[in-house]
Amino acid sequence: MPPFTLGHFSQVCCQLLNHYFGEIVGQVGAYLLRRGHRPLFDIPCATGLSIAEVKKALAVMIQHNLVKFEASERNNNIAEYSIIHHNVYCLLRYPKYLYMIKRIYGTSEEILLEILLNLGQASASNVIFQSANRLKEANDPSALHQSFLKLAQDNFIIRCPKLADNANMQKVPTLVVEEKEKFTVPHLEIGPIAKLLKENATQLGEHSDSEVIWRVNHERFDVELRNVILVNAAARRVDSTAGELYHLILKLWRECSNPDSPTTNALSFNVIKDAVRKNEGSSPVLLEHFEQYLRVLYEDTSSLITKVGDAGGGQFILNYSIVFENLACATLDSIVLERFGSKALRLFRLTRIQKFMEQDQMQNIAMIPAKEAKMFTYKLLEHNFLQIKELKKGTSNFAPVKSFILFHVDLPQVARTALEASYKGLFNAMVRQMHDLTDNKRLLDKHARLETLLESLRGEGLPEDELAYLSDSMTAAEKSLVARIHSMNDHLTLGQTQADDTILILESYLKFSSMT
Amino acid sequence: MAGRGRGRGQNVSFNIEQLGFGRGEAVPVSVTQPPPLFPTLENRPLPLIKDVEYEYILVTQKDLNTRMRNSSFHLNTAIEIQEIQQIHNPSYEKELPVLWNRMPTELKKSIAKKLGIEKLKTVKSGKKKKIEDPDKIFAKLEKKEIVESEGEGMCDGKEDEDEKEKSDDEKVEVEDDIEEEIDEEMDEGTDYASNYFDNGEGYLDEDDNLDEGEAQF
Repeated sequence: MPPFTLGHFSQVCCQLLNHYFGEIVGQVGAYLLRRGHRPLFDIPCATGLSIAEVKKALAVMIQHNLVKFEASERNNNIAEYSIIHHNVYCLLRYPKYLYMIKRIYGTSEEILLEILLNLGQASASNVIFQSANRLKEANDPSALHQSFLKLAQDNFIIRCPKLADNANMQKVPTLVVEEKEKFTVPHLEIGPIAKLLKENATQLGEHSDSEVIWRVNHERFDVELRNVILVNAAARRVDSTAGELYHLILKLWRECSNPDSPTTNALSFNVIKDAVRKNEGSSPVLLEHFEQYLRVLYEDTSSLITKVGDAGGGQFILNYSIVFENLACATLDSIVLERFGSKALRLFRLTRIQKFMEQDQMQNIAMIPAKEAKMFTYKLLEHNFLQIKELKKGTSNFAPVKSFILFHVDLPQVARTALEASYKGLFNAMVRQMHDLTDNKRLLDKHARLETLLESLRGEGLPEDELAYLSDSMTAAEKSLVARIHSMNDHLTLGQTQADDTILILESYLKFSSMT
Repeated sequence: MAGRGRGRGQNVSFNIEQLGFGRGEAVPVSVTQPPPLFPTLENRPLPLIKDVEYEYILVTQKDLNTRMRNSSFHLNTAIEIQEIQQIHNPSYEKELPVLWNRMPTELKKSIAKKLGIEKLKTVKSGKKKKIEDPDKIFAKLEKKEIVESEGEGMCDGKEDEDEKEKSDDEKVEVEDDIEEEIDEEMDEGTDYASNYFDNGEGYLDEDDNLDEGEAQF
């Protein structure tokens, strides 16, 4: 453990680095998470690692867009390194990215993305070459080239900043962002790649676009993950057809507005109608009842669509801050329900809707016996789901002051509390997983070796009874233990993925609420 | 402060009944211990969602884990490398497939190697010198002792003048040597007595005497 404590979020980041890149990177990462901008030579002293190890770790993290560097103000020849927190956290979301890309496009795009995620930063040719190598059967780089263009066109991948012209003169290279060319794919020479593939080469040598480097665009994936949440919300609120309609409208909104603003630009009724008509995949139910579905969505209290005007048959916007406030409320409600029970939920919800409430009012309106109501109120207060506001009446310094104690829900604060708890849960799950895997490493390794051996022997056509004899080299107890560890491991991974869903909602809420 | 006058034995400044406890009912004792490290689970959490989507994500995650673990970006600690070298491959060392031209030059390995070796060399030679010096001194001191005792013994009995002169010469030489050695040692700054005391005047004005002319009162 590092000689300092980190917040829950940083601990999660540190675990992720440990998990993906090994302990050394984890230690260097923990130091940078704690200290911010640091020159290279500070790190070995503080972490107790050798300088060569630290250099490797930094190189790995820069390659994977987890650390950025800039020349120190005092000395241009020395770089200062700082960690990009969000990108580190996004390591957890890589499987979700892959799933999303597979759903939207298909397998070849998924492979491209996976290769890019493995490499961190790479040129287009390199990614295509390695993907083609992976997809042995479909050895056609030009199809992969098309897939790559699609990913870039929809902004899922982005160009890394370019090296400045005088970069090889500098000790710390300057990187320049080219706003216009962020998503433009340069001309690729597919011929040489195809030739190399035929020769079964494993490395791509010099290529024309080796200077144009790509990486994953986390911001775009964030937007897309949020959109998935919204479409699911629409589908669950109304039905799957509404989800389909909402998906279409979201696409239109995305095209016409800035992804970072808390509200989208307005779309008119006719534009939406045209889009639904033109879309080939629209279901007949949607075509028939389009107006009704739209109406249901914008009249619904969840405000997935907000109507802002009547021009052009109606103007519709999406107000992210309101929608995510509603989603965050629903999330918090279910957290309170599962932790404290339905009576506590009633008090919590009541206080949130009524803004400020006195103790007596709460128990009367919620219709809960006084003692229970108080118990639940104090429990909620203890766990920071309710806040106290004290109002003092009376201006004299001498007369006794009459004070009112009002309970209220400070939503951003409660969201932050829940977010911290989620990070902590996530961290605990990761630690537990690590612990199980390292404790039983020997056994798991043995099991894996045995499995691969059996697999290869089966391929060679060894008779079944000999295979059975071999597989008996592990006792039944050991086998059941391995199975238990594996299922526990799956369970914990799944738990992490689903904790991240909650985190995404709460994070988005805090992000948009701080904007308005 | 309504409850203070009633004096019911509890050290609270309000009426206990306000909290919903009837007269004579047991009030919960105050907790003086820290909460347990692993608190008991009050409510069982909901089961995790297991549908096609999450199953796929789970499989992808596992796949990604093994890929990352086997990639050359996964840095092994020195102990792990040793283990691998022992078991599998004695010349095991991974080359980092990193785009070096996009990184600060200080991270590049070649430079790292040079620097590391040079540093090690200087450190080693420095240490050797220091370790050797006291040995020499000891040897010489011993020699000197022997010479002295011999000299004394010779003084007592009848002695050979030549030999005495010779040994005296040697003695002087040895003493000179010792003094030289000690001088060297002192020059290297090991004599703390001469520069140990710091009256604090130099504090905070190491390299700039800008405020020297300013008033001291």
